[in-house]
Amino acid sequence: MSARSLNRRLKSTAGWVALLFVVVAALAVGATRDTGPQSAGDRVDAISRRIACPECDGESVYESRSRASEAIRTEIRAQVNAGRADDDQIIEFVAERFGGQVLLVPRSTGIEALAWALPAAALVVGVTALFFAFRRWRLEAAGVPEPTDDDIALVAEARAAERE
Amino acid sequence: MTAATVNAALGNAGLLLMLVASIVGALSTVAAVRSGNVRALRGVSRYAWLILAGAVLATVMMQRALITRDFTLAYVQQVGATSTPALYNVAAMWSALEGSILLWVLVLAGFTAAVAWRYRKRTDDPLVAWAMVVMFAVSAFFAFVAFGPASPFQTVAIPPGFVDGPGPNPLLQNHILVLFHPPILYLGYVGFTVPFAFAIAALVTGRVGEGWLMETRRWALFAWAFLTIGIILGAWWSYEVLGWSGVWAWDPVENASLLPWLTGTAYIHSVLVQERRGMLRVWNISLLVATFALTILGTFITRSGIISSVHAFGAGEVDGYLLGFFGVVVFVSLGLIAWRGDRLRSPGSIDSPVSREGAFLANNVLFTVFAFVVLLGTLFPLLVEALQDRRTVVGAPYFDRLSMPIGLVMLFLMGIAPVLPWRKASTELLRDRLFWPAWMGAGCLVLALVLGADGWAPLAAFGLAGFAAGSALRQLVLATRRQGWRGLVGRANGGMVVHLGVILIAVGLAASNSFTHSATIPLEVGTVQRWGGHTFELLEITEEDTARVNVVKAQVLLDGDQAYAPAITLYKKIGANIGTPSVRTGFTKDVYLTIDGTVRPEPGATEVTLRVFVKPMILWLWIGAGLMAVGTLLAAFPGHRRRRPTDPVSAPIGDPDVEPAAVEPAAPVGAAP
Repeated sequence: MSARSLNRRLKSTAGWVALLFVVVAALAVGATRDTGPQSAGDRVDAISRRIACPECDGESVYESRSRASEAIRTEIRAQVNAGRADDDQIIEFVAERFGGQVLLVPRSTGIEALAWALPAAALVVGVTALFFAFRRWRLEAAGVPEPTDDDIALVAEARAAERE
Repeated sequence: MTAATVNAALGNAGLLLMLVASIVGALSTVAAVRSGNVRALRGVSRYAWLILAGAVLATVMMQRALITRDFTLAYVQQVGATSTPALYNVAAMWSALEGSILLWVLVLAGFTAAVAWRYRKRTDDPLVAWAMVVMFAVSAFFAFVAFGPASPFQTVAIPPGFVDGPGPNPLLQNHILVLFHPPILYLGYVGFTVPFAFAIAALVTGRVGEGWLMETRRWALFAWAFLTIGIILGAWWSYEVLGWSGVWAWDPVENASLLPWLTGTAYIHSVLVQERRGMLRVWNISLLVATFALTILGTFITRSGIISSVHAFGAGEVDGYLLGFFGVVVFVSLGLIAWRGDRLRSPGSIDSPVSREGAFLANNVLFTVFAFVVLLGTLFPLLVEALQDRRTVVGAPYFDRLSMPIGLVMLFLMGIAPVLPWRKASTELLRDRLFWPAWMGAGCLVLALVLGADGWAPLAAFGLAGFAAGSALRQLVLATRRQGWRGLVGRANGGMVVHLGVILIAVGLAASNSFTHSATIPLEVGTVQRWGGHTFELLEITEEDTARVNVVKAQVLLDGDQAYAPAITLYKKIGANIGTPSVRTGFTKDVYLTIDGTVRPEPGATEVTLRVFVKPMILWLWIGAGLMAVGTLLAAFPGHRRRRPTDPVSAPIGDPDVEPAAVEPAAPVGAAP
């Protein structure tokens, strides 16, 4: 069998199905194997990345080398070693002790929810704009012109008449 | 001592010369182009030379003042010290607000002169003349800021008892990258002024076709490349200096450099659609305006102190002017776009979303949304403070969480887009061309799994990176097979080399963000500690003492074969202790050692506590950056027939240099038409 025809046969539907199978299987194995942070040190790191250093400019406790950050790191380490299971609990605990402004991730309630909602809205707007652009181009290519202002006025008049 | 020293007098004279030349240049060029005075237009470039001369004079005087430690200048009192080594003394110029504006002024003057020189024979062309007007106007603004509100040449009386200044911020005098990162970043920032100037000129003259795009293609690429390199050098500096082992902290100043990079990247992609199809005119001009405006807004955000950042230079006096200038730029640009609205409507249409054009549009949506996310996260504390009067911080985890899916979709797009033809792609074609790249992605995914990676997000990143690399390599293999070494140059091929660099960086980021491990390890002389497959042994704690600094180093034997020396340096003039990491760099992982805490160990002590990070694949970031730089050079390299603006925009069928993907019949491995 020549390389050329082998290549063509590999690229058949079966080849793509095999690809899909390999990818899904690998992702499934990888995702279930995910054990999160492995050591206590890694957990301390993961938590301290989510807390701001109270006395520096915008650095996290993880990055900062200030005394306050060190105190918070020590506190987190103590909590982790004491066996607190939930990262969020530890973060709430630290936030209570040092004031709420130390949280680095906006909450999903109140005004801070905007930080999450607006990016999603931006994506929706972008994709919708693309959709309408392609629709317009398709109509133009098909020879159907866009409605003119006159057309729109005509429809508005007709609908106003209908309501009356 | 007299207030008017030579340095201050000549420095101010230089800035004044630049200011006057910019204003006179702008006004006289406008007058000449409106009256059609060709002779006057031919002389336009002389203003650019005067601007350059003024900026160079000011910079030379500032350097002279720094070298001679002329403490009659307030700026030198702020950043100068007799003990600063010569190289860091040069860099002291951009270690605070006023001097960094001076650097901006110098780079801008350089670009103005470069544009004048490049188009010296065409200054009677209204497009070029109006572009010069914009360059002059921008120069005038920055010369004004440097001459007036942010003057680095302000003189003050030397306070009684003053012997020596503190020198630059300690973080800005302990790594050589401080010399390169800011100037290169500024070459990128300021470089986007040139395509912006031509975009405005195109709007003013009404020549909104593709001519101005062709003129500025290389300028935009040049600015983009320097912005890229500048950002990555900043990441490298952060890694080597800051001691938390990270390359990117999503700090507002970092974000301010990323924003124009994102819109600039969107631009250099979507501009291809306009060159080829004559479409997206408004969009491309908007992207350029956004890129330029974001450099100004970024400078405002980070230099005005409205958002706290480790990089901020403290509250300056320039914020009002920068914000005003930002407003003028946006207002004038939008006004011009609205005014030229009729001419900007382009004929033609994009036939199918599954096409090269469609992929570029999807790219643009992604990059724009990404830029929006970064801007929102950066400005969000302002919003909360304005509405609820409380302080918040939006930190790295927020940006990480949102940029991860965006990055994955970008990688996916990088895999698909290079194989798509213009106009429309059929399913059979996609099946044929994507097969081996997709398998390469699957291979990378399985390889990562075998090597121990876990978690769906990093695995997806590795798989998609392999897919994207497959597509890029496919293009390069096909092109070089057909054209030899010329298959590596030109936009399409050089662009694929850039993609490979981006992919290496993506892999490096995914790996180092997901699989970094750290530990705090107490060490004692004579005892070997084991952690994470490495051994650590403290040899001794040494001390170096100079007039400027006192360095305490922990000599640590790593894996029994080489000593590394993380240090804590006391900067005597400032009284600050700065930790300096020591890194063993490797192809698969780095071992990053720092002395834990802020307390200096005593020289000769037998104990020290180390903070150790094991970070995979950091080296890939720097290799990827190099590849991006090389790829950009290859992309800017002239093809064997350089297209002039007058040549037809569409390539003749079968011209392999212009569109290899559309005409090539074969797949990368084996060959099937």
